[in-house]
Amino acid sequence: MHLRPEAEEFLYSISKEKTLHKGEVLIRQGQVVKKTFFVTAGCLRSYCIDKNGKEHTLLFAIKDWWISDYIAIHTDELATLTVECLSESKVIEFNAKELDGIHTRFPEFESYQRHNLERHVVSLHKRILNQLQLSAAERYDLFLKQYPDIERHTRNYHIASFLGITQESLSRIRAEKAKK
Amino acid sequence: MKALQVIKYGDIKDALAFNEVSLPTIEANDVLIEVKAAAINPIDKGIILGNLQALLPLPLPCTSAYDVSGIVVEKGNEVSHFEVGDMVYSRVPQEQMGTLAEFVAVTSVAVSKKPGNISFEEAAGIPLAGLTAMQSLEASGLKKNDRVLIHAGSGGVGSLAIQYAKAQGAYVYTTTSTSNLAWVKELGADRVIDYKTEDYKTIAKDVDIVFDTLGQNHSLEAFEVVKQGGIVTSVVGPLDEATAKMFGMTDYKLPEELAKASRDKGAEYKFIFMHPNGSHLNEMKTMIEDEKIKPIIDKVYTFSESIEAFTHLASGRAKGKIIVKMC
Repeated sequence: MHLRPEAEEFLYSISKEKTLHKGEVLIRQGQVVKKTFFVTAGCLRSYCIDKNGKEHTLLFAIKDWWISDYIAIHTDELATLTVECLSESKVIEFNAKELDGIHTRFPEFESYQRHNLERHVVSLHKRILNQLQLSAAERYDLFLKQYPDIERHTRNYHIASFLGITQESLSRIRAEKAKK
Repeated sequence: MKALQVIKYGDIKDALAFNEVSLPTIEANDVLIEVKAAAINPIDKGIILGNLQALLPLPLPCTSAYDVSGIVVEKGNEVSHFEVGDMVYSRVPQEQMGTLAEFVAVTSVAVSKKPGNISFEEAAGIPLAGLTAMQSLEASGLKKNDRVLIHAGSGGVGSLAIQYAKAQGAYVYTTTSTSNLAWVKELGADRVIDYKTEDYKTIAKDVDIVFDTLGQNHSLEAFEVVKQGGIVTSVVGPLDEATAKMFGMTDYKLPEELAKASRDKGAEYKFIFMHPNGSHLNEMKTMIEDEKIKPIIDKVYTFSESIEAFTHLASGRAKGKIIVKMC
């Protein structure tokens, strides 16, 4: 995306580069959410914790992905998600409301944001459809294509809960793949 | 808040009562945990029956139990590793005992974030038994390829000890009754010995470590199966002299029979007194998330059924942990 110098300057003024350590929590379930993060290196994960205390992974964010709790940001509710850093990562942190304001000042940014949003909606729809119609093994294959390098950052239960399967099933799928 | 309290020593049904008590206050290093689940252990039963009055003199009434999982709802000024909202688990220290309540205050060094892949109920069953297993086997110097005998593989401590020892690469013998053989085998034990039909002393010979979770004659018999120079670690047998000194019993001597067996075999006898430790629980969290250790739950009771939970514990028939959930 080509930005005018003033737009670039504005982006710098409302953002902050951050280096994160493994395990660092950026958003915690139950808190007010004001920030959104653009990942420039590493890997982050958003997840919810159900009433029994188990984690369910919603999203992994790698380089060039955005991550936050958008439900909380767009509904002014408290966070239902926790966002944590899975490996040493770099992000650019934005105040979500300030970032929203960029469209009125710099319309060229609108098409970039719209494109991001479209990509995000496509990804979510694919994830729902895959969940509805594919086998666990097929979903795992697609997951590896979508996140080719992610297994070095993640724990098995992160992936199992993203795919909606048990850790035992994931181990079985991996063992069957290894045989082929 | 509501709490299940020991109001007098004796029979479970007479000794326990649900009382309204004040919310615990926190010190600078404490977190206040909203209890989601608690686990009960044989030590809790021992306290209720009054068997531990000499070792643990407690002012009555006192709230029961040590194991907890829940959510941090408040933290002291000096707590840096936890935030309000964190899901945690702990074996609370003696002076903060009382997890069968809506809230419990716990020093943050005894707390760890709970494993993310298991429920509050499963997590509550880990701390006391898990720390006992881990600290006992660590103190025994357990290493890869060691041959270890773990008594009572179906018990709360035994079932976790088997999994911990297997995760370290040991060869594990364990004893259990006929009805438990299959599921104890599934925990990973290499040789499950049916004590009703087999003599473990003829099967587990010259082992590097005996982990005694039964006491009585098993502490002494351990020296028949441990190798020359091996180690016998007990959590229920007689105190060793170092532990006795810790409790101010300076004249204490190991029972002569045990001391002689230990001398004859050149094998050390160690008594392990489990200590609350958040870092150890954090290590266990990783092992649980990596599925090297799985919690084994016998039954989950609601808070209002807590007294029944203790009756079940007293029956001695539990296979795994007995849990009380708060809601």
